[in-house]
Amino acid sequence: MEFTLLGAAAIAAGATYLMLWWEARHGNAARCTGNVWEIGVVSAVAGIFIGRLVAMLVDGVNPIAHPADVILVRSGISTAGAALGAGALFFWQARKEPVAMADGISAAALAGLSGWAAGCLVRGTCLGTVTDLPWGMAQAGSTVSRHPVGLYAAILFAVAAIALAAWKAYRRPPAGVPASAAVVAASTVRLLTEPFQPSLSGGPVWFYTVALIIGFTGVFWFAWIGPRRSV
Amino acid sequence: MSRFAVFALALALVATACSSSSPVSVDGIDPPAPITGTEMQTLLSESTEPIVLNVWASWCTPCRSEAPLLGKAATEFDEGVRFVGLDVRDTPNNAVAFIAEFYADAPIEHYADDSGAIPIDLGGTRGVPITFFYRPGGELSYVHIGVIDERTLVLQIDELVHG
Repeated sequence: MEFTLLGAAAIAAGATYLMLWWEARHGNAARCTGNVWEIGVVSAVAGIFIGRLVAMLVDGVNPIAHPADVILVRSGISTAGAALGAGALFFWQARKEPVAMADGISAAALAGLSGWAAGCLVRGTCLGTVTDLPWGMAQAGSTVSRHPVGLYAAILFAVAAIALAAWKAYRRPPAGVPASAAVVAASTVRLLTEPFQPSLSGGPVWFYTVALIIGFTGVFWFAWIGPRRSV
Repeated sequence: MSRFAVFALALALVATACSSSSPVSVDGIDPPAPITGTEMQTLLSESTEPIVLNVWASWCTPCRSEAPLLGKAATEFDEGVRFVGLDVRDTPNNAVAFIAEFYADAPIEHYADDSGAIPIDLGGTRGVPITFFYRPGGELSYVHIGVIDERTLVLQIDELVHG
């Protein structure tokens, strides 16, 4: 892993921790803040590892024959593999109270995604497709103006994280709704920003669409059908 | 212990089944043609298309790691961008096996530099991989040292196309 990726990961971890700290001070998820942080970090690291393995298999590279390739995460991580792997490990670790733990990490996860997206400033990967808009940015030595798509994602994730944290702290939504809303927010931000990203395949739009549907289903279920408990 | 052995064996079988470890065909794939520094400069300066020049070697693990991405990009941008591979400090047999494994169907011209001096002359380093991006006429647009990711690769190609 290169230092720029480590820098972006550190920003993401810092943003996650900051949000958990804020939530703990506002009586939100205070009893499980430490657990949520540990489970979240383990899940994120495992998710990166699983996503890398999936990307290698998709590319036709045998991870056992070429184990050193696994640490070269810059070569590609499967978004779906990483998200599903991290989610599965999170729920396995939080199996005693999965809904409460998922609600507990929901705003912090969005803050972490915001930090990861803002890490584009360290990685030098903020720029996207060409634009004539006045806030377009050009890379050094170029006159081509581009969407700062990494910053778009960082701002949208941050707004979603702050709104969700405030909602949890001051409105006490039904249990399960914050986690489902976080899935809706994350997939929406990705669907909105993906068209501006430089990409060969157009990004895993199918995965974000499925996640969006699952998130909306979760909100509907926990808000109106499932057992009604506050966060 | 026996349970662990069974699990490890099953894992190995699954990974082998999913892998590309079938015998590599090298039919129709020639070893990369040797090229000198002067010839490479001429190739770059006389090109009427933008060039993505990737420096690789079969012994380089990071090169193996980024090769599938470069193969896909070369196919995707076949119209309008020229992809050139420069194999350094390698043997012809290993180079052919590497090309057959990763670049068999990709429209990439491969050359060989036994001394590994060309990338340094072009402004790179002795380490691999390195990816150079040249505008038509051979003007250097960007150099990426190390494994290149999809966003950087596509962005720099887009810069060549729009710049």
